[in-house]
Amino acid sequence: MATRGIDFANLSLKDALDLAILIEDEAQERYEDFAAQMDQHRTPEAAKFFRYMVENEAKHGRELTARRLQLFGDAPRSVTPAMIFDVEAPDFDAARAFMTPRKAMEAALASEVKAHAFFVAALPALKDVQVRALFEELREEELEHQHLVQIELAKLPPESGLSEEDFVDEPAPQ
Amino acid sequence: MSATGTCEYQPKDYKSDLKPIWCPGCGDFSVVQGIYRALAAIGRPPHEIAFVSGIGCSSRIPGYTTAYGFNSVHGRALPIAQGIKMANPELTVLAAGGDGDGFSIGGGHIAHLIRRNMDITYIVMDNQIYGLTKGQLSPTSQKGRVTCTSRFGSLEEPVNPLLYVLAYGAGFVAQASPTDLVGMAATIEEAIRYPGFAFVNIQSPCVTYGEEAQQIKGLKAISETLASLGHNPADRLAAMDLAQHYGEKLHLGVFYRNPEPPPTYGDLVKERQALLSKDAPPKERILDLFIKK
Repeated sequence: MATRGIDFANLSLKDALDLAILIEDEAQERYEDFAAQMDQHRTPEAAKFFRYMVENEAKHGRELTARRLQLFGDAPRSVTPAMIFDVEAPDFDAARAFMTPRKAMEAALASEVKAHAFFVAALPALKDVQVRALFEELREEELEHQHLVQIELAKLPPESGLSEEDFVDEPAPQ
Repeated sequence: MSATGTCEYQPKDYKSDLKPIWCPGCGDFSVVQGIYRALAAIGRPPHEIAFVSGIGCSSRIPGYTTAYGFNSVHGRALPIAQGIKMANPELTVLAAGGDGDGFSIGGGHIAHLIRRNMDITYIVMDNQIYGLTKGQLSPTSQKGRVTCTSRFGSLEEPVNPLLYVLAYGAGFVAQASPTDLVGMAATIEEAIRYPGFAFVNIQSPCVTYGEEAQQIKGLKAISETLASLGHNPADRLAAMDLAQHYGEKLHLGVFYRNPEPPPTYGDLVKERQALLSKDAPPKERILDLFIKK
């Protein structure tokens, strides 16, 4: 997780909302990519879970976009996707062929923890009262998302003891 | 056009509809994201970019972008990229491939591209293994590495890509890694903006055939930004000194950027054309040159 060139101290509410939308967009796109990877690598259950996450991220993105349009209409965006990296999107190396649904959920949980940490870390630098309120709200939402994933995790049967590595080919002698 | 009415290019504008078939977790996923972001920051439309590669897992990368792409033959990305640049100097030309493609099969081409100083950015996804063909020794595999073609450990010293290009006189040499996505995108952007040949070595882990120490966690443990070391990228000798630690430490950022970039091959060609065009026969009389009088 990283950011580039964000001036938190002078962040306006419009910019904060745009950043939050970008964060959801990035996470949605990553889960879409993960779902496609799982389909290609015959890991349908993880793909199904990642699609569920796509829906979740898309829903949050739509809510934030509606709010942004209501408050600021079509005012040009001054933050760019290059400013945020993996704030809520799972790390690229979090996906593995043949990963179990539990591993997929753990990857999502780690992402929600990461996103929560981002909002917690950003809060002290924020000066605008409305921006601060928005970030506090987003921070609490991340906690809620963690809770939801934990509920799903608790429903899963115990793991078989096999790891995804057990399904991967060893280098073959030539 | 974005939802909020702005017209700038977004990373998504450079992402093609083709889904990468790399192994899930492969470092190349983040490299292609870094490229999308760098291209969006530069802001040239995809049709003004040509992306050439050789053969290998990483050489699939042009297909995952909306730029013009050419997934060529093994080791031959650079000659083709040079041809494209000569034919249409206005294009932003990128070349990419793996360490085997660049430093073994195509190793001889780098020297000539560097001495010509063509304005091409070469991105090598260095994973120290031939992954596509299932895990053979590559030119950057470390000595002692056990693979299917070195059952008792490699007897060869690895190629050091950074020293290699620095020694030939490349004007821009950098290293990046998926351990630092912000830095990687910024480095690629800087390389593309450099007026001349630019080389970026990206330590991109192979999740299937790579060793534990070469995965993200292992790379993070040995990574250090050159900026944090106070390295001056204008100092070529200091860059060479730091580059010697390739394989032991992962130095990230710009090793060397020529503070006074020399003219590119394209500039020199233009200059020569201007000089010779004064006495050149008109186009319709060119054939006369081949007719004995």
